[in-house]
Amino acid sequence: MDVVSQLQRQFIDYSASLHREGFVDDQFTQLQKLQDENSPDFVVEVASLFFEDCEKLINNMARALEQQQGVDFKQVDASVHQLKGSSSSIGAMRVKNVCINFRSFCEAQNREGCLRCLQQVTHEYSLLKSKLQTLFRMQPSMMAVDCVLLSLVGLGNRSVV
Amino acid sequence: MHGNIWVVQNPQGSAQSMALVIRFQVRPSITITMTESGESSDQPRSNSLFRGLQVLLADDDDVNRAVTRKLLEKLGCTVSAVSSGFECLSAIGPASSPFQIVILELQMPELDGFEVAIRIRKYRSRSWPLIVAMTASGDEDVWKKCSQIGMNGVIRKPVLLQEIAIELRKVLVQANKVV
Repeated sequence: MDVVSQLQRQFIDYSASLHREGFVDDQFTQLQKLQDENSPDFVVEVASLFFEDCEKLINNMARALEQQQGVDFKQVDASVHQLKGSSSSIGAMRVKNVCINFRSFCEAQNREGCLRCLQQVTHEYSLLKSKLQTLFRMQPSMMAVDCVLLSLVGLGNRSVV
Repeated sequence: MHGNIWVVQNPQGSAQSMALVIRFQVRPSITITMTESGESSDQPRSNSLFRGLQVLLADDDDVNRAVTRKLLEKLGCTVSAVSSGFECLSAIGPASSPFQIVILELQMPELDGFEVAIRIRKYRSRSWPLIVAMTASGDEDVWKKCSQIGMNGVIRKPVLLQEIAIELRKVLVQANKVV
């Protein structure tokens, strides 16, 4: 069963590194603990919802900031506020922190600052997405593992039932 | 079991050795125990107080709704979740409501949590169902407003299991005292 413990170790280590590097915080830990037999894919499902939300909200922000006639900062702020809320719930710490700065720039109606934050939030979201996808790939392999190899030597002419 | 079986034959044509590969599914709960914290991680904090409690959850954010729902179910509640203030009011219905507690995100587009609570207290009933607000705001004034409107409790976001349990328990105990 060495393969199993190796993979489990890999999963733990990767998960720990995500916490250490600030990609996720205790809220994410809570989500991992909420996963159970009734909802074995809970974390993956919530993460998928989050990534969908991110994309939609980032697009909204980009569109609003592109407006040449004049940026509706309230609209941008509404999207940032929503992203801050959901990133906070899932424990996406870095994304959340960018949102906090982003809101200040919205309040100050600073378009340049907002654009910089938009770039940052897009970057952090992409990074987190790829890290979590890596983490989730490690889970199924744990679940599918356990190759049992039985070597039966010298069966003679007996047929196997 | 999605496995494989093969036989190596010796020169006489009979089986010399066999290999059997079987793929098992490791129980998903292993992922729960893989956290670094070292504390007992899969202890449900469910309580007979919450078991079967009918809760209506209203939150327009998909992620928040999924997380809060799971937390409530972990406590033992039976949860119906809606994504707007209007849906919330429809779900409560005209007269008697199947729900004992309504958990409301305050900031929702179109019809926010305050408005929903005001309407419940005015047109449905002054004390039932119990209403608990959810908000990211730590503002004292927000909490005072909730209380003035007739809400019974407030939960701060991001939501933690312990905090939901404590606040709901407090709200239920207070309600029982009044009756």
